[in-house]
Amino acid sequence: MSMLGLLATTTSPMKLGEATSGGTFWMPESASTIAPEVDFVFDFINWINYIFFALVVLVLVWFAIRYKLKPGSRESFTPDAPTHNTPLELTWTTMPLLLVGLIFWLGMDGYLRLTEVPDDAYPVKVTGQKWSWIFEHPEFGVIEGGELTVPLNRPVRMIMSSKDVLHSVFIPAFRVKQDVVPGRYTSLWFEATRPGQYRLYCSEYCGMDHSKMLAVVNVLPEDEFQDAMGQLAREYEDIPDSDLPAYAMNRLYSRCASCHSRDGTSGTGPSFVGLWERTKNGTTVFTDGTTLKDHMGPGGEFEVPENYLRDSILNPQHYIVQNYMGAMPTFKGQLKERQVDALVLMIKNMDRLVDDQGNVIENPDLDGADISTGSAN
Amino acid sequence: MTTIDARPMEQPVLAGDNYLTHTRGFRSWFFTLDHKRIGLMYLVSVLTAFLLGGIFALLVRTQLLVPEGLIMDQNDYNKAFTMHGGIMVFLVIIPSIPAALGNFVLPIMLGAKDVAFPRLNLFSYHLWIVGAIFLVMSMFTGGLDTGWTFYTPYSIDQQSAMGGVIPAVTGAFILGFSSIFTGMNFIVTIHRLRPKGMTWFRMPLFLWSIYATAVIQVLATPVLGITLALLAVERAFGIGIFNPALGGDPVLYQHFFWFYSHPAVYIMILPAMGIVSELIAVHSHRHIFGYSFIAWSSIAIAIFSFIVWGHHMFTSGQSPLMNVIFSLITFSVAIPSAVKVFNWLATMYKGAISWNTSMLYGMGFIFLFTIGGLTGLYLGTLSTDVHLHDTYFVVAHFHYVMMGSALIGFIGGLHHWWPKMTGKLINDNAGRVAFVLFFVGYNLTFFTQFMLGSHGMPRRYATYPADAGFQFYHILSTIGSYMMAIAFFMMAFYFIGSLFFGRRAPANPWGGRSLEWQCTSPPPHDNFAEQPEVGDCYDFSVLRWDEATGGYVWREDVEHPGQHAEDATA
Repeated sequence: MSMLGLLATTTSPMKLGEATSGGTFWMPESASTIAPEVDFVFDFINWINYIFFALVVLVLVWFAIRYKLKPGSRESFTPDAPTHNTPLELTWTTMPLLLVGLIFWLGMDGYLRLTEVPDDAYPVKVTGQKWSWIFEHPEFGVIEGGELTVPLNRPVRMIMSSKDVLHSVFIPAFRVKQDVVPGRYTSLWFEATRPGQYRLYCSEYCGMDHSKMLAVVNVLPEDEFQDAMGQLAREYEDIPDSDLPAYAMNRLYSRCASCHSRDGTSGTGPSFVGLWERTKNGTTVFTDGTTLKDHMGPGGEFEVPENYLRDSILNPQHYIVQNYMGAMPTFKGQLKERQVDALVLMIKNMDRLVDDQGNVIENPDLDGADISTGSAN
Repeated sequence: MTTIDARPMEQPVLAGDNYLTHTRGFRSWFFTLDHKRIGLMYLVSVLTAFLLGGIFALLVRTQLLVPEGLIMDQNDYNKAFTMHGGIMVFLVIIPSIPAALGNFVLPIMLGAKDVAFPRLNLFSYHLWIVGAIFLVMSMFTGGLDTGWTFYTPYSIDQQSAMGGVIPAVTGAFILGFSSIFTGMNFIVTIHRLRPKGMTWFRMPLFLWSIYATAVIQVLATPVLGITLALLAVERAFGIGIFNPALGGDPVLYQHFFWFYSHPAVYIMILPAMGIVSELIAVHSHRHIFGYSFIAWSSIAIAIFSFIVWGHHMFTSGQSPLMNVIFSLITFSVAIPSAVKVFNWLATMYKGAISWNTSMLYGMGFIFLFTIGGLTGLYLGTLSTDVHLHDTYFVVAHFHYVMMGSALIGFIGGLHHWWPKMTGKLINDNAGRVAFVLFFVGYNLTFFTQFMLGSHGMPRRYATYPADAGFQFYHILSTIGSYMMAIAFFMMAFYFIGSLFFGRRAPANPWGGRSLEWQCTSPPPHDNFAEQPEVGDCYDFSVLRWDEATGGYVWREDVEHPGQHAEDATA
């Protein structure tokens, strides 16, 4: 069964929107080595259930009609109806026992394979935090957010931890799920068998934007995967400063998106629209009643306004903007120096990167844009 | 057949005296020690809570009509599903059958004048009211968005969960004591107040199930109380029990919580199984099949319920060995449940089945509980549960068990005992129409959720991806929920209508044999002048239909238990 599933896989890449079309009546598309096994057990239980259910309903309806009280007749008692039949009752006690024993065994067998991680599994470090995912590739020194790139036909092991509350990684196409717990590591592994893009959900309730804590798993054939990793490892080094704002919008903003809007609406955190104006002019008011102006300028904590943005990314609990609850986790260690620069530049140039509705402008006009991060000054 | 020498089943009482009219005024109700009045007050309270919980359910369903959410923002949606769950579990399903119907029926079934501790019984009700106020109050003290499970560390983090956590867990704590006291009361009542002739294995099966339930209530609920107290203290003072930042363990909370909350599932379903045993036997006019297997299966379920909690935690990070053990034990629960279904079916064999509303709910229970039980197999199985856990598949499964089974049992029991409680008969045609509407709407709502879940839709999502193919199922599900709402309003209409326009109920409208059918409808204040004798509660051969009274009476040509005593006084 599982071997057939493996052989039947195609190599045509799938797009996310098509994801559900590849499935069966009961299951979504299957794209991992485990999936066909899980589906086999699911189908096995299905058929047992169909038969049992049909039996119960058939007997129920048959008796209900056959023994319906005749209209007008209230004479009701049937003297020869049996009140018990021990052999029959023992039979229908033991028969389900054997069946559920078999089901248990099949489920345990598949599950134990899920717990045995192959030695050569490709490691990915996963961090869950309200309400985004961070994926780290230690072998390449690459950090991704919102999208996880993994190799095809190679076991991948996710070592996971949470920065705040419980989360859970759930990839339906791979039939895997594992809670992500603060204060300890959990892990899961899978081996993708079809290239394409697959959804990753947070499936353990984690508060306000739980339903937006989504990511995409991008399965690439080995050579494309190596290329992509190489590119990702260098991506911030290779591109010129002038491209950094647009690059951050495309590659990094997804980690901010659940809290910081780009259309001006206020979310869990302040919108990025107009943020630079407020920062530059020092008009931002904090929960302790001070304004940003009080901390800026020569001799102040932030000599240049860019430093405040930098501080807010790496040390977000330092100053909390009035009317917000300070829910932001730190991104220290998850962003490289140049990525922080890119984010600061993105925020500085929001008006050039998005239109009034908050849609990203393709090929934004960045001529003459302010691409200084302050740090060089 | 002549009616002159018909032997009415009920004992003679003073004309016009019944428990409803015995005394008057608010205080005579709110401070009553009469188990029937307390049961009726529970009934009204539980149904009020059900209306509230139902409104939240409709809000949740309406929100999910469109992928980006139709009517609420994320926070309001999170509050709505939390209140729906909290109200339905703690205020509706747990007290519905034991506290409302059980309080009314149990002492009368025993031929007793009241429960063993009437004052404790009243105290339970008052505690329930206080607990309910706290729980609902959480909506106005910052709101509650933790889900009814209060999972840590979310619930203990002041930054995360809203301000209603402490009022809500205080409410659940108080409701827990209400539940414990009711359970204690019922255990003692069943042990001490059984009438002559009613040995343990001659008790009506409803009493067996209430007894098994009461044992779980007394043993499991304290664990929930302690856990929630710890949670409240941790949230207020930051002592590290569940918070990993303070050296605590968030998964420990899940163990504590499910150690109560899995048995709580059987607190909900066992009484409904008891009711269905009564419904099927009485309305099939046929001796229950395999009495002792059904009775023992209730006990077995009560025992197994304590050792399967870990199946809620297969993906929580607990060790694979524990997962395997919990999976194995979980399957053992399937057996007594299956045994009950087979026995109910066999009870209908060669019966004389009345297709009245109560029986339709009895048969509806068998249908829905079978689905609920069979879909549990996918979730007890380790490899499939990993995929299905925390998806709508689980939501659908536990609604089939909690609503499709436990609540259906409650509604069926309400139809069954309504004539006894109020002395009025409902319009049975309206009842059957409402049942059909409910039944169709129910399956439309929840069967589609199996499809949603197996295709990967996670629980507790205020929004969902537009291109994932979920919306079609969500729309069907929401339409079904509206159908159910209409059915419930129909029920409210004909139940309330029957109070004013319903025909007077005879003592024994259905042909029941247990003792509650041997006092007038509604019963007198003291239930019975003398504790009656009882024989086999499912031996219907001693009854016959009596056209004149529109109910069932003793057959003249067959001797029934207690007849000699009656003849002597006559």
